[in-house]
Amino acid sequence: MDIFLERLFDGITNGTVYAIMALALVVVFRGTGTINFAQGEMALFTTYIAWWLTTQGVSIWIGALVAAIVGFLLGAVVERTLIRPVRKRNDMATLIVALGLFTGFNALAGLLWNSETKPMDGLFPGGQDDYVGVGGARLYFDALGVWLFVILMIGAVFLLFNRTRLGLNMRAVADNPESAALSGVPTGRILMLGWGLAGTIGSLAGVLVTPLSAQQLSLTTMFPILIYASAAALFGGLDSPIGAVVGGLTIGLLEAMITGYVDFIGGTLPQTAALVVIVAILLFRPTGLFGTRQMERL
Amino acid sequence: MTTMTEKTRRPSAAGERGPRFVIEEGSGAHWAVRVAVPLVVLLLLLAGAGLEPFRVGQLTSVLIFAIAISGLNLATGYTGLLSIGHSAFFGLGAYTTGVLIVKYEVEPLLTLPVAVVICFALGFLVGLPALRIRGLYLALVTLAVGVAFPEIVRRFADLTGGAAGMVIRSRQLAPPEWTGLRLGDRGVFLYWVSAILLVLTLLLVRNLTRSRTGIAMIATRDNELAAAASGVRIASVKTLVFGLSGAITGLAGGLFAMYVGALSPDGSFTLLKSIELITGLFLGGVATLYGPVAGALAVVFVPYWTSDVVSGHVSGILFGAVLILIVFLMPEGVVGRLERTARGIVRIVPRTHPSPTPKPDGSGDSMERDQA
Amino acid sequence: MSLLEVTGLTAGYGQARVLHGLDLTVEPGEVVVVLGANGAGKTTTMRALTALIPHGGTVTFDGAPLDGLNPAQIVGRGVSLVPQGRGTFSHLSVLDNLRVGAALRRDTAEIKADIDRWCEVFPILAARSGQEAGTLSGGEQQMLAVARALMSRPKLLLCDEPSLGLAPKIVSELFSTLGDINREQGTALLLVEQNAELALGLASRVYLLEVGRVVASGDAEGFRADESIRRAYLGL
Repeated sequence: MDIFLERLFDGITNGTVYAIMALALVVVFRGTGTINFAQGEMALFTTYIAWWLTTQGVSIWIGALVAAIVGFLLGAVVERTLIRPVRKRNDMATLIVALGLFTGFNALAGLLWNSETKPMDGLFPGGQDDYVGVGGARLYFDALGVWLFVILMIGAVFLLFNRTRLGLNMRAVADNPESAALSGVPTGRILMLGWGLAGTIGSLAGVLVTPLSAQQLSLTTMFPILIYASAAALFGGLDSPIGAVVGGLTIGLLEAMITGYVDFIGGTLPQTAALVVIVAILLFRPTGLFGTRQMERL
Repeated sequence: MTTMTEKTRRPSAAGERGPRFVIEEGSGAHWAVRVAVPLVVLLLLLAGAGLEPFRVGQLTSVLIFAIAISGLNLATGYTGLLSIGHSAFFGLGAYTTGVLIVKYEVEPLLTLPVAVVICFALGFLVGLPALRIRGLYLALVTLAVGVAFPEIVRRFADLTGGAAGMVIRSRQLAPPEWTGLRLGDRGVFLYWVSAILLVLTLLLVRNLTRSRTGIAMIATRDNELAAAASGVRIASVKTLVFGLSGAITGLAGGLFAMYVGALSPDGSFTLLKSIELITGLFLGGVATLYGPVAGALAVVFVPYWTSDVVSGHVSGILFGAVLILIVFLMPEGVVGRLERTARGIVRIVPRTHPSPTPKPDGSGDSMERDQA
Repeated sequence: MSLLEVTGLTAGYGQARVLHGLDLTVEPGEVVVVLGANGAGKTTTMRALTALIPHGGTVTFDGAPLDGLNPAQIVGRGVSLVPQGRGTFSHLSVLDNLRVGAALRRDTAEIKADIDRWCEVFPILAARSGQEAGTLSGGEQQMLAVARALMSRPKLLLCDEPSLGLAPKIVSELFSTLGDINREQGTALLLVEQNAELALGLASRVYLLEVGRVVASGDAEGFRADESIRRAYLGL
């Protein structure tokens, strides 16, 4: 029972992180109709910045804030200067630019901070004894902190989308860019803000998950998370924020349970399992659980 | 600002002015060109073979990558099926060759056909999703294949050596006896094998893309709906092309296994390899016959030169920057640009062609290339 | 001074030029209709005027040029377009659709009042206010699109074939509402229509388009009376 609970907790923790990363992907997709393959590596880069600040004696909370801001600027600048000029040309051009960013940001992080693994402070106390017992299982404070933080973030994003004018404009641009422009919505600025927002969300995901991850901060930390988040976003529906959250939790729990209980896959094929999910969804229900868009036409 | 998707097709500079020299097919000049070109290629290859062993090795890897990128070009360039998963074909080819040589002591050259067949089968399978989805989503599927491959290699450690990797002893890579070459000549031997296979690959790609199938591929890329309405069997074109594309890249993988002699899942078969191949393709020129050769030169030599200066991360940054710059500055790639320039100077026209001035719509095969 | 003054308007898609130097004017508070067959360039004119596609020639509105502005800025100047077909946000609620229409306005209380007013004019919108626009019928969506366009309080409302695909009864309702809006608010209307009879009933002046040029213009009464024009161009 307790081992099951611990796996459950693990699954939820990972799931929440996948959920917000998936949310970043969804925010970009709704606005631009693009999956930003570089989202993970951009987050990696800003997480490195947060880590570097902690080595300079700055609190990790300040580091996270800086990462969030840099993430926002990075996203906005990338959209304005690199994505917008080529987006209308075709899918391939956008994808190539994203691949370029993917490679470039990863290598840039490696160049600035070398490829050695770096232990990173968490936002929440992460000692051996910082836990509460739940049904014989240990629920660590750092995991609990991540849950709370993610719930707050998701709440904030939902408020933004559903209760603010900016959010309304973002939804309008995602729905029908032409009519949005004809209503006086500055579509260009909205897209830029959307990418910026995604950058912030991604950066926070990076800062949250890295201290909990077994491999800590290294050049390969974020890529698997991007893969799981893509699976989550596809599962929930690429244009649905609710779908991203449900998808993230589902993938996180599945991962924990499969790793724990299915011997053949065990700990050796986790990404492959997530990818099988991606392919299956693309083939059998391309809109995902909550999505509405027809993918074949895009 | 918010214009709808407009398909603008710039008329090429050559298309407006017409070439300076026109060579008619079947004329003396045409024959001279047809004889001279292979001769020059042969001389270049001979010169390459005579270099010091290290250089021969570098050139061998250029030839191997040119084959790999040519394979990618079939799917991505000519048919518009973007693949981020070709590292898996490259790897599958390499491991097929490696496992057959090490575990079953098969003669190295004989492993290549096996690698080709297995990679064709995988390519065919990956091509199946392409029947339902395209663009970004297809890229996701290929990404899945690319990411899964190293994990699967690690999972089946009995066969592949797992994460520790697999070493092919150099004795097992000795040139066959009929060549009369000794073990020490295996570098030169592999160089010539790669060269011949590259030439064969290029001939195959050239003939394929000029055939009815080639037209069907390009039609599928440019407008799938219209192609289907014109009777192109989209399903068979896509799966066939993906199979062939995977097979050719797998062939390169097999050669690569012989070239490096040591395989590990995290070494040369990760997503980074896919990105390298894509960079090479776009830099050289999408949907051009010789683009992959130019791309392979860049992929091999640029990191080599830059790694003299600083660490390996610089080449990563460089790849990234080059990819983005290409999209912005030279969507047709180096070879595409050269071809366009060359057409302004010399053009070979069919014998019956009434006038060398091209039609106003800018006829000429490569005009159909995407502006990707 | 005219409200809208268009001289030598050219536009097209890619290499294909559709408009070859088009001149037209709209006076303040006037209803003008542009008639023409399919492919004459009616929709292209509307899209060029609202900067959805680039144009050549000059467009002056309310004394200032519109050339070089983006669609949102043009809305800010007081020109609003009801585009052909789906002019709504299908995944947004009816209420949110109307709110987006007021994207450039900051007068929250007035926006509320306007939403109420248009819900009164188009009662169906009030009944469906919480529903996603995509679930409305074609006619209801067209009403929503018109209301959405009016939320920016335009001085000139452009309508691209508002009657397309609607039942005759709904079309005549819509046209009479458009007439009311014109009379009560003083909003000038520039309509593009294939339904000539109906449009001529509403308009005071007419332009007849053929392959990207104005081939005839005059007041609506004269057009309706002129037998040769009726037969040659209007198919009446």
